[in-house]
Amino acid sequence: MIRYSKNFLAGITVVLVGLGGCGQNHEEQATANLKPPIQQEIEEIRPQVSQIVRAPVTEKTRKTYQWYCAQCHGIEGKGDGINAKLLTVPPRNHTKASYLETRTDEQLYEAIKFGGLSVGRAPCMPAWENTLDEETIHSLVQYIRELCQCEAL
Amino acid sequence: MIQKILTLLCLGGLLSLFPLSLEAGVLEENNCSTCHSLSSEDTEKKISGPDLYYAGNKFQPEWLRQFLKVPAVVRPSGFITDPGFLKGSPENLVPHPSFPDEKANAIADKLMELKIYEQTPVVRNALSKGQRAKIKYQFERTYGCISCHQSLNLAGKVRGGISGPSLVNAGNRLQADWIASWLQKPETYLSKSRMPRYKMDSVTQNLFVQFLMTLKKENMK
Ligand code: HEC
Ligand code: HEC
Ligand code: HEC
Repeated sequence: MIRYSKNFLAGITVVLVGLGGCGQNHEEQATANLKPPIQQEIEEIRPQVSQIVRAPVTEKTRKTYQWYCAQCHGIEGKGDGINAKLLTVPPRNHTKASYLETRTDEQLYEAIKFGGLSVGRAPCMPAWENTLDEETIHSLVQYIRELCQCEAL
Repeated sequence: MIQKILTLLCLGGLLSLFPLSLEAGVLEENNCSTCHSLSSEDTEKKISGPDLYYAGNKFQPEWLRQFLKVPAVVRPSGFITDPGFLKGSPENLVPHPSFPDEKANAIADKLMELKIYEQTPVVRNALSKGQRAKIKYQFERTYGCISCHQSLNLAGKVRGGISGPSLVNAGNRLQADWIASWLQKPETYLSKSRMPRYKMDSVTQNLFVQFLMTLKKENMK
Protein backbone atom coordinates (compact mmCIF):
# COMPACT_ATOMS: atom_id res chain seq x y z
CA MET A 1 0.00 0.00 0.00
CA ILE A 2 2.72 2.44 0.97
CA ARG A 3 4.61 1.61 -2.21
CA TYR A 4 1.55 2.09 -4.31
CA SER A 5 0.93 5.57 -3.01
CA LYS A 6 4.54 6.61 -3.60
CA ASN A 7 4.40 5.59 -7.22
CA PHE A 8 1.07 7.25 -7.47
CA LEU A 9 2.47 10.51 -6.13
CA ALA A 10 5.44 10.39 -8.47
CA GLY A 11 2.98 9.87 -11.33
CA ILE A 12 0.97 12.89 -10.30
CA THR A 13 4.02 15.15 -10.21
CA VAL A 14 4.82 14.21 -13.77
CA VAL A 15 1.27 14.88 -14.91
CA LEU A 16 1.17 18.19 -13.09
CA VAL A 17 4.26 19.55 -14.73
CA GLY A 18 2.62 19.22 -18.13
CA LEU A 19 4.24 19.60 -21.59
CA GLY A 20 7.08 21.82 -22.66
CA GLY A 21 10.71 22.53 -22.01
CA CYS A 22 13.05 22.47 -19.09
CA GLY A 23 14.30 25.98 -18.65
CA GLN A 24 13.00 28.26 -16.01
CA ASN A 25 13.47 31.90 -15.28
CA HIS A 26 15.42 33.03 -12.22
CA GLU A 27 12.55 35.00 -10.75
CA GLU A 28 9.49 33.07 -11.82
CA GLN A 29 8.51 29.80 -10.26
CA ALA A 30 7.95 26.77 -12.44
CA THR A 31 5.22 27.37 -14.95
CA ALA A 32 3.26 24.14 -15.07
CA ASN A 33 3.68 23.41 -18.76
CA LEU A 34 5.67 20.18 -19.00
CA LYS A 35 3.63 17.44 -20.68
CA PRO A 36 4.48 13.84 -19.73
CA PRO A 37 5.82 11.73 -22.59
CA ILE A 38 3.24 9.98 -24.72
CA GLN A 39 3.67 6.26 -25.47
CA GLN A 40 4.92 6.94 -29.01
CA GLU A 41 7.57 9.33 -27.71
CA ILE A 42 8.72 6.66 -25.25
CA GLU A 43 8.90 3.94 -27.90
CA GLU A 44 10.92 6.16 -30.20
CA ILE A 45 13.60 6.84 -27.63
CA ARG A 46 13.68 3.50 -25.78
CA PRO A 47 13.85 0.84 -28.42
CA GLN A 48 14.39 -2.39 -26.48
CA VAL A 49 14.18 -3.94 -23.04
CA SER A 50 17.42 -3.57 -21.11
CA GLN A 51 19.49 -6.21 -19.36
CA ILE A 52 21.09 -5.15 -16.11
CA VAL A 53 24.74 -5.95 -15.42
CA ARG A 54 26.08 -5.32 -11.93
CA ALA A 55 29.19 -3.41 -12.98
CA PRO A 56 31.52 -2.49 -10.10
CA VAL A 57 31.75 1.12 -8.97
CA THR A 58 35.29 2.29 -9.77
CA GLU A 59 37.26 5.51 -9.57
CA LYS A 60 36.18 6.11 -13.17
CA THR A 61 32.51 5.84 -12.18
CA ARG A 62 32.91 8.50 -9.50
CA LYS A 63 34.87 10.79 -11.83
CA THR A 64 32.24 10.38 -14.53
CA TYR A 65 29.53 11.32 -12.06
CA GLN A 66 31.45 14.43 -10.99
CA TRP A 67 32.23 15.46 -14.55
CA TYR A 68 28.76 15.06 -16.09
CA CYS A 69 26.05 14.38 -13.53
CA ALA A 70 27.10 16.77 -10.75
CA GLN A 71 26.23 19.79 -12.96
CA CYS A 72 22.61 19.01 -12.08
CA HIS A 73 22.60 16.34 -9.36
CA GLY A 74 25.25 18.08 -7.24
CA ILE A 75 28.68 17.05 -5.97
CA GLU A 76 27.17 14.72 -3.36
CA GLY A 77 24.22 13.66 -5.51
CA LYS A 78 21.69 15.53 -3.41
CA GLY A 79 19.96 17.07 -6.43
CA ASP A 80 21.46 20.51 -5.79
CA GLY A 81 23.83 21.06 -8.73
CA ILE A 82 24.37 24.47 -10.31
CA ASN A 83 21.52 23.97 -12.81
CA ALA A 84 19.08 22.58 -10.25
CA LYS A 85 17.14 25.74 -9.41
CA LEU A 86 16.83 26.69 -13.07
CA LEU A 87 15.07 23.54 -14.23
CA THR A 88 11.31 23.18 -14.50
CA VAL A 89 11.61 19.77 -12.82
CA PRO A 90 14.34 19.49 -10.17
CA PRO A 91 17.07 16.86 -10.58
CA ARG A 92 16.51 13.75 -8.46
CA ASN A 93 18.19 13.56 -5.09
CA HIS A 94 20.25 10.40 -5.49
CA THR A 95 20.66 9.99 -1.74
CA LYS A 96 16.91 9.72 -1.17
CA ALA A 97 16.21 6.06 -0.49
CA SER A 98 12.43 6.45 -0.14
CA TYR A 99 12.19 7.42 -3.83
CA LEU A 100 14.94 5.27 -5.30
CA GLU A 101 13.52 2.13 -3.66
CA THR A 102 10.52 2.59 -5.92
CA ARG A 103 12.67 2.54 -9.06
CA THR A 104 14.18 -0.61 -10.57
CA ASP A 105 17.77 -0.81 -11.79
CA GLU A 106 16.37 -1.12 -15.32
CA GLN A 107 14.54 2.18 -14.91
CA LEU A 108 17.65 3.94 -13.62
CA TYR A 109 19.73 2.47 -16.43
CA GLU A 110 17.22 3.58 -19.04
CA ALA A 111 16.88 7.06 -17.55
CA ILE A 112 20.65 7.51 -17.84
CA LYS A 113 20.99 5.95 -21.27
CA PHE A 114 17.92 7.30 -23.07
CA GLY A 115 17.05 10.28 -20.91
CA GLY A 116 14.18 11.17 -18.56
CA LEU A 117 11.41 10.96 -21.17
CA SER A 118 12.15 7.28 -21.78
CA VAL A 119 11.01 6.30 -18.27
CA GLY A 120 8.10 8.69 -17.99
CA ARG A 121 10.21 11.37 -16.35
CA ALA A 122 11.09 14.91 -17.37
CA PRO A 123 13.20 15.71 -20.46
CA CYS A 124 15.43 17.89 -18.23
CA MET A 125 17.37 14.67 -17.62
CA PRO A 126 19.42 14.29 -20.85
CA ALA A 127 20.30 11.04 -22.64
CA TRP A 128 23.90 9.83 -22.28
CA GLU A 129 23.87 6.94 -24.77
CA ASN A 130 26.25 8.67 -27.19
CA THR A 131 28.57 9.93 -24.46
CA LEU A 132 29.06 7.03 -22.05
CA ASP A 133 29.81 3.37 -22.74
CA GLU A 134 27.62 0.51 -21.48
CA GLU A 135 29.97 -0.47 -18.66
CA THR A 136 30.01 3.09 -17.32
CA ILE A 137 26.22 3.43 -17.43
CA HIS A 138 25.80 0.12 -15.56
CA SER A 139 28.31 1.20 -12.95
CA LEU A 140 26.53 4.54 -12.52
CA VAL A 141 23.36 2.65 -11.62
CA GLN A 142 25.31 0.84 -8.91
CA TYR A 143 26.88 4.12 -7.79
CA ILE A 144 23.41 5.62 -7.33
CA ARG A 145 22.49 2.53 -5.25
CA GLU A 146 25.56 3.30 -3.16
CA LEU A 147 24.53 6.95 -2.77
CA CYS A 148 21.01 6.07 -1.61
CA GLN A 149 22.17 3.04 0.39
CA CYS A 150 19.17 1.27 -1.02
CA GLU A 151 17.94 -1.43 -3.39
CA ALA A 152 14.80 -1.63 -5.49
CA LEU A 153 12.03 -3.05 -3.32
CA MET B 1 78.37 53.42 -50.71
CA ILE B 2 78.52 49.93 -49.26
CA GLN B 3 77.88 51.42 -45.86
CA LYS B 4 74.79 53.18 -47.18
CA ILE B 5 73.38 49.95 -48.62
CA LEU B 6 74.06 48.12 -45.40
CA THR B 7 72.25 50.72 -43.30
CA LEU B 8 69.32 50.62 -45.70
CA LEU B 9 69.21 46.85 -45.49
CA CYS B 10 69.38 46.97 -41.73
CA LEU B 11 66.65 49.56 -41.53
CA GLY B 12 64.48 47.60 -43.93
CA GLY B 13 65.05 44.46 -41.92
CA LEU B 14 64.23 46.22 -38.70
CA LEU B 15 61.12 47.82 -40.15
CA SER B 16 59.74 44.55 -41.44
CA LEU B 17 60.54 42.74 -38.21
CA PHE B 18 59.23 45.38 -35.88
CA PRO B 19 55.49 45.36 -36.67
CA LEU B 20 55.49 41.56 -36.55
CA SER B 21 56.88 41.29 -33.06
CA LEU B 22 54.66 44.13 -31.95
CA GLU B 23 51.58 42.24 -33.15
CA ALA B 24 52.55 38.94 -31.58
CA GLY B 25 53.21 40.83 -28.40
CA VAL B 26 49.75 42.23 -27.91
CA LEU B 27 48.39 38.97 -26.49
CA GLU B 28 51.54 37.94 -24.62
CA GLU B 29 52.11 41.38 -23.21
CA ASN B 30 48.70 41.32 -21.56
CA ASN B 31 49.17 37.87 -20.04
CA CYS B 32 46.28 36.39 -21.96
CA SER B 33 48.13 33.08 -22.03
CA THR B 34 48.05 32.67 -18.26
CA CYS B 35 44.36 31.79 -18.57
CA HIS B 36 43.91 31.00 -22.28
CA SER B 37 45.62 28.64 -24.66
CA LEU B 38 46.67 30.63 -27.74
CA SER B 39 48.24 27.86 -29.79
CA SER B 40 47.12 24.32 -30.55
CA GLU B 41 50.67 23.28 -29.70
CA ASP B 42 50.28 24.65 -26.20
CA THR B 43 50.97 21.62 -24.04
CA GLU B 44 50.10 23.20 -20.74
CA LYS B 45 46.36 22.85 -20.22
CA LYS B 46 44.69 26.07 -19.08
CA ILE B 47 42.09 25.28 -16.47
CA SER B 48 40.75 28.75 -15.78
CA GLY B 49 39.69 30.00 -19.22
CA PRO B 50 38.48 28.70 -22.59
CA ASP B 51 40.94 27.97 -25.41
CA LEU B 52 41.37 30.82 -27.89
CA TYR B 53 43.67 29.26 -30.48
CA TYR B 54 40.68 28.87 -32.83
CA ALA B 55 39.12 32.27 -31.98
CA GLY B 56 39.14 33.27 -35.66
CA ASN B 57 36.96 30.26 -36.48
CA LYS B 58 34.62 30.68 -33.53
CA PHE B 59 33.76 34.32 -32.90
CA GLN B 60 32.27 37.26 -34.75
CA PRO B 61 34.85 40.09 -34.76
CA GLU B 62 32.40 42.76 -33.61
CA TRP B 63 31.46 40.69 -30.55
CA LEU B 64 35.15 40.22 -29.67
CA ARG B 65 35.80 43.97 -29.84
CA GLN B 66 32.83 44.65 -27.63
CA PHE B 67 33.79 41.91 -25.15
CA LEU B 68 37.31 43.29 -24.78
CA LYS B 69 35.94 46.79 -24.12
CA VAL B 70 33.10 45.80 -21.81
CA PRO B 71 33.41 42.10 -20.86
CA ALA B 72 30.04 40.36 -20.48
CA VAL B 73 29.67 37.13 -18.52
CA VAL B 74 29.18 34.16 -20.86
CA ARG B 75 29.72 31.32 -18.39
CA PRO B 76 27.95 32.23 -15.15
CA SER B 77 29.60 29.29 -13.36
CA GLY B 78 33.01 29.87 -14.90
CA PHE B 79 34.96 27.68 -17.27
CA ILE B 80 34.26 23.93 -16.96
CA THR B 81 37.59 23.19 -15.27
CA ASP B 82 37.58 26.15 -12.92
CA PRO B 83 38.10 24.79 -9.37
CA GLY B 84 34.87 26.49 -8.25
CA PHE B 85 32.77 25.44 -11.27
CA LEU B 86 30.58 22.80 -9.60
CA LYS B 87 30.04 25.02 -6.59
CA GLY B 88 28.78 27.88 -8.73
CA SER B 89 31.51 30.14 -7.39
CA PRO B 90 34.22 30.33 -10.07
CA GLU B 91 37.62 31.56 -8.99
CA ASN B 92 38.66 33.10 -12.30
CA LEU B 93 35.57 34.75 -13.71
CA VAL B 94 35.45 38.43 -12.80
CA PRO B 95 36.68 40.94 -13.53
CA HIS B 96 37.93 40.03 -17.00
CA PRO B 97 40.69 42.35 -18.27
CA SER B 98 39.20 45.15 -20.38
CA PHE B 99 40.81 47.66 -22.74
CA PRO B 100 40.28 51.10 -24.26
CA ASP B 101 38.80 51.15 -27.79
CA GLU B 102 41.92 51.14 -29.93
CA LYS B 103 43.72 48.48 -27.95
CA ALA B 104 40.61 46.29 -27.77
CA ASN B 105 40.27 46.48 -31.55
CA ALA B 106 43.92 45.56 -32.07
CA ILE B 107 43.60 42.56 -29.74
CA ALA B 108 40.37 41.46 -31.43
CA ASP B 109 42.06 41.64 -34.84
CA LYS B 110 44.91 39.52 -33.53
CA LEU B 111 42.49 36.96 -32.10
CA MET B 112 40.65 36.73 -35.43
CA GLU B 113 43.93 35.61 -37.00
CA LEU B 114 44.05 32.55 -34.74
CA LYS B 115 42.53 29.82 -36.90
CA ILE B 116 42.90 26.09 -37.17
CA TYR B 117 41.29 25.85 -40.61
CA GLU B 118 40.07 28.03 -43.48
CA GLN B 119 36.47 27.68 -44.56
CA THR B 120 34.16 29.57 -46.88
CA PRO B 121 30.94 30.24 -44.99
CA VAL B 122 28.00 27.96 -45.77
CA VAL B 123 24.92 29.83 -46.97
CA ARG B 124 21.96 29.22 -44.67
CA ASN B 125 18.36 30.28 -45.21
CA ALA B 126 16.25 31.84 -42.49
CA LEU B 127 14.02 29.50 -40.48
CA SER B 128 10.37 29.33 -41.43
CA LYS B 129 7.87 29.81 -38.59
CA GLY B 130 7.10 26.11 -38.50
CA GLN B 131 10.75 25.10 -38.48
CA ARG B 132 11.45 27.52 -35.69
CA ALA B 133 8.63 26.17 -33.53
CA LYS B 134 9.81 22.60 -34.13
CA ILE B 135 13.46 23.20 -33.34
CA LYS B 136 12.66 25.33 -30.31
CA TYR B 137 10.63 22.39 -29.00
CA GLN B 138 13.59 20.08 -29.55
CA PHE B 139 15.97 22.53 -27.90
CA GLU B 140 13.78 22.68 -24.81
CA ARG B 141 12.40 19.16 -24.69
CA THR B 142 13.65 16.39 -26.98
CA TYR B 143 17.33 17.25 -26.49
CA GLY B 144 17.01 19.24 -23.27
CA CYS B 145 19.67 21.77 -24.32
CA ILE B 146 18.02 24.39 -22.14
CA SER B 147 18.81 22.36 -19.00
CA CYS B 148 22.40 23.61 -19.26
CA HIS B 149 22.22 26.68 -21.49
CA GLN B 150 20.44 29.98 -21.03
CA SER B 151 18.34 31.12 -23.95
CA LEU B 152 15.30 33.34 -24.54
CA ASN B 153 11.69 32.22 -24.26
CA LEU B 154 8.91 33.55 -26.48
CA ALA B 155 8.40 36.50 -24.13
CA GLY B 156 12.08 37.43 -24.51
CA LYS B 157 12.94 36.35 -20.95
CA VAL B 158 16.18 34.59 -20.05
CA ARG B 159 15.71 31.01 -18.92
CA GLY B 160 17.71 27.82 -18.63
CA GLY B 161 20.67 26.24 -16.87
CA ILE B 162 24.07 27.82 -16.29
CA SER B 163 26.61 25.00 -16.51
CA GLY B 164 27.06 25.64 -20.24
CA PRO B 165 27.95 28.96 -21.88
CA SER B 166 24.95 31.29 -22.22
CA LEU B 167 23.38 31.13 -25.69
CA VAL B 168 21.26 34.26 -25.17
CA ASN B 169 23.59 36.21 -27.47
CA ALA B 170 24.83 33.29 -29.58
CA GLY B 171 23.64 34.94 -32.80
CA ASN B 172 25.95 37.91 -32.28
CA ARG B 173 28.79 35.98 -30.71
CA LEU B 174 29.38 32.76 -32.66
CA GLN B 175 29.96 31.92 -36.31
CA ALA B 176 27.26 29.65 -37.73
CA ASP B 177 29.78 27.25 -39.25
CA TRP B 178 31.59 26.93 -35.95
CA ILE B 179 28.36 25.91 -34.18
CA ALA B 180 27.77 23.26 -36.84
CA SER B 181 31.30 22.00 -36.40
CA TRP B 182 30.97 21.98 -32.60
CA LEU B 183 27.76 19.93 -32.72
CA GLN B 184 29.37 17.48 -35.11
CA LYS B 185 32.84 17.08 -33.61
CA PRO B 186 33.23 18.83 -30.24
CA GLU B 187 36.53 17.02 -29.63
CA THR B 188 38.12 19.23 -32.32
CA TYR B 189 37.85 22.06 -29.81
CA LEU B 190 37.77 20.42 -26.42
CA SER B 191 39.31 17.08 -25.56
CA LYS B 192 36.69 16.42 -22.90
CA SER B 193 33.43 18.26 -22.81
CA ARG B 194 30.76 18.23 -20.08
CA MET B 195 28.05 18.35 -22.70
CA PRO B 196 26.39 15.11 -23.80
CA ARG B 197 27.18 13.91 -27.33
CA TYR B 198 24.21 14.00 -29.67
CA LYS B 199 23.77 11.98 -32.80
CA MET B 200 21.61 14.15 -35.02
CA ASP B 201 21.08 14.06 -38.77
CA SER B 202 22.48 16.95 -40.79
CA VAL B 203 19.04 18.51 -41.33
CA THR B 204 18.35 18.72 -37.59
CA GLN B 205 21.86 19.94 -36.95
CA ASN B 206 21.45 22.71 -39.47
CA LEU B 207 18.14 23.73 -37.88
CA PHE B 208 19.88 23.95 -34.50
CA VAL B 209 22.56 26.18 -36.02
CA GLN B 210 19.96 28.47 -37.60
CA PHE B 211 17.95 28.56 -34.39
CA LEU B 212 20.96 29.51 -32.25
CA MET B 213 21.85 32.25 -34.73
CA THR B 214 18.45 33.88 -34.08
CA LEU B 215 19.24 34.24 -30.36
CA LYS B 216 20.39 37.82 -29.81
CA LYS B 217 20.50 39.91 -26.71
CA GLU B 218 18.57 42.74 -28.39
CA ASN B 219 15.55 40.39 -28.38
CA MET B 220 15.69 40.29 -24.60
CA LYS B 221 12.82 42.00 -22.83
C1 HEC C 1 20.94 18.76 -17.21
C2 HEC C 1 20.75 18.30 -15.88
C3 HEC C 1 21.03 16.84 -15.60
C4 HEC C 1 22.20 16.15 -15.81
C5 HEC C 1 23.51 16.69 -16.37
C6 HEC C 1 21.97 14.83 -15.33
N1 HEC C 1 20.69 14.71 -14.85
FE1 HEC C 1 19.83 13.05 -14.08
N2 HEC C 1 18.08 14.04 -13.80
C7 HEC C 1 17.88 15.37 -14.08
C8 HEC C 1 16.53 15.73 -13.73
C9 HEC C 1 15.91 17.10 -13.87
C10 HEC C 1 15.91 14.55 -13.23
C11 HEC C 1 14.49 14.40 -12.70
C12 HEC C 1 13.54 13.96 -13.77
C13 HEC C 1 12.15 13.80 -13.21
O1 HEC C 1 12.02 13.57 -12.02
O2 HEC C 1 11.18 13.89 -13.99
C14 HEC C 1 16.92 13.51 -13.29
C15 HEC C 1 16.70 12.21 -12.91
C16 HEC C 1 17.67 11.23 -12.90
C17 HEC C 1 17.45 9.86 -12.46
C18 HEC C 1 16.15 9.31 -11.91
C19 HEC C 1 15.21 8.85 -12.98
C20 HEC C 1 13.95 8.29 -12.33
O3 HEC C 1 13.71 7.11 -12.51
O4 HEC C 1 13.25 9.04 -11.64
C21 HEC C 1 18.64 9.22 -12.58
C22 HEC C 1 18.92 7.76 -12.24
C23 HEC C 1 19.60 10.15 -13.09
N3 HEC C 1 18.98 11.37 -13.29
C24 HEC C 1 20.93 9.88 -13.31
C25 HEC C 1 21.85 10.77 -13.89
C26 HEC C 1 23.21 10.43 -14.19
C27 HEC C 1 23.89 9.10 -13.85
C28 HEC C 1 23.75 11.52 -14.78
C29 HEC C 1 25.16 11.69 -15.33
C30 HEC C 1 25.56 10.77 -16.35
C31 HEC C 1 22.72 12.54 -14.84
N4 HEC C 1 21.58 12.05 -14.28
C32 HEC C 1 22.91 13.82 -15.37
C33 HEC C 1 18.80 16.24 -14.60
C34 HEC C 1 20.09 15.92 -14.99
C1 HEC D 1 42.67 35.69 -15.01
C2 HEC D 1 42.43 34.86 -16.15
C3 HEC D 1 42.23 35.53 -17.50
C4 HEC D 1 43.08 36.39 -18.18
C5 HEC D 1 44.42 36.94 -17.74
C6 HEC D 1 42.46 36.64 -19.46
N1 HEC D 1 41.25 35.98 -19.54
FE1 HEC D 1 40.00 35.97 -21.12
N2 HEC D 1 38.70 34.81 -20.05
C7 HEC D 1 38.89 34.30 -18.79
C8 HEC D 1 37.71 33.57 -18.37
C9 HEC D 1 37.52 32.85 -17.04
C10 HEC D 1 36.80 33.65 -19.43
C11 HEC D 1 35.40 33.08 -19.49
C12 HEC D 1 34.47 34.21 -19.18
C13 HEC D 1 33.03 33.86 -19.39
O1 HEC D 1 32.76 32.88 -20.07
O2 HEC D 1 32.16 34.58 -18.88
C14 HEC D 1 37.45 34.44 -20.48
C15 HEC D 1 36.86 34.73 -21.72
C16 HEC D 1 37.51 35.33 -22.76
C17 HEC D 1 36.96 35.49 -24.08
C18 HEC D 1 35.61 34.97 -24.53
C19 HEC D 1 35.79 33.53 -24.88
C20 HEC D 1 34.55 32.74 -24.97
O3 HEC D 1 34.63 31.60 -25.42
O4 HEC D 1 33.50 33.22 -24.55
C21 HEC D 1 37.89 36.15 -24.83
C22 HEC D 1 37.79 36.54 -26.28
C23 HEC D 1 39.02 36.42 -23.97
N3 HEC D 1 38.75 35.91 -22.71
C24 HEC D 1 40.16 37.09 -24.36
C25 HEC D 1 41.20 37.39 -23.51
C26 HEC D 1 42.36 38.15 -23.92
C27 HEC D 1 42.61 38.69 -25.31
C28 HEC D 1 43.16 38.26 -22.82
C29 HEC D 1 44.48 39.02 -22.71
C30 HEC D 1 44.35 40.41 -23.06
C31 HEC D 1 42.50 37.56 -21.72
N4 HEC D 1 41.33 37.06 -22.18
C32 HEC D 1 43.01 37.45 -20.46
C33 HEC D 1 40.02 34.48 -18.03
C34 HEC D 1 41.08 35.28 -18.36
C1 HEC E 1 24.46 18.60 -19.54
C2 HEC E 1 24.59 19.96 -19.94
C3 HEC E 1 24.47 20.33 -21.42
C4 HEC E 1 23.47 20.02 -22.30
C5 HEC E 1 22.23 19.18 -22.06
C6 HEC E 1 23.81 20.69 -23.55
N1 HEC E 1 24.99 21.37 -23.40
FE1 HEC E 1 25.88 22.54 -24.81
N2 HEC E 1 27.47 22.80 -23.57
C7 HEC E 1 27.53 22.39 -22.25
C8 HEC E 1 28.80 22.81 -21.68
C9 HEC E 1 29.26 22.55 -20.24
C10 HEC E 1 29.49 23.51 -22.70
C11 HEC E 1 30.87 24.17 -22.58
C12 HEC E 1 31.97 23.32 -23.04
C13 HEC E 1 31.89 21.92 -22.62
O1 HEC E 1 32.18 21.54 -21.50
O2 HEC E 1 31.45 21.15 -23.47
C14 HEC E 1 28.63 23.49 -23.86
C15 HEC E 1 28.91 24.12 -25.09
C16 HEC E 1 27.99 24.34 -26.10
C17 HEC E 1 28.20 25.19 -27.24
C18 HEC E 1 29.45 26.02 -27.51
C19 HEC E 1 29.31 27.31 -26.78
C20 HEC E 1 30.58 28.08 -26.63
O3 HEC E 1 30.48 29.28 -26.55
O4 HEC E 1 31.66 27.50 -26.54
C21 HEC E 1 27.08 25.14 -28.01
C22 HEC E 1 26.82 25.89 -29.31
C23 HEC E 1 26.16 24.23 -27.35
N3 HEC E 1 26.75 23.76 -26.18
C24 HEC E 1 24.90 23.89 -27.83
C25 HEC E 1 24.09 22.91 -27.25
C26 HEC E 1 22.90 22.38 -27.88
C27 HEC E 1 22.36 22.82 -29.22
C28 HEC E 1 22.40 21.44 -27.02
C29 HEC E 1 21.21 20.52 -27.24
C30 HEC E 1 21.19 19.80 -28.48
C31 HEC E 1 23.27 21.42 -25.84
N4 HEC E 1 24.27 22.31 -26.03
C32 HEC E 1 23.05 20.63 -24.72
C33 HEC E 1 26.57 21.69 -21.56
C34 HEC E 1 25.42 21.17 -22.12
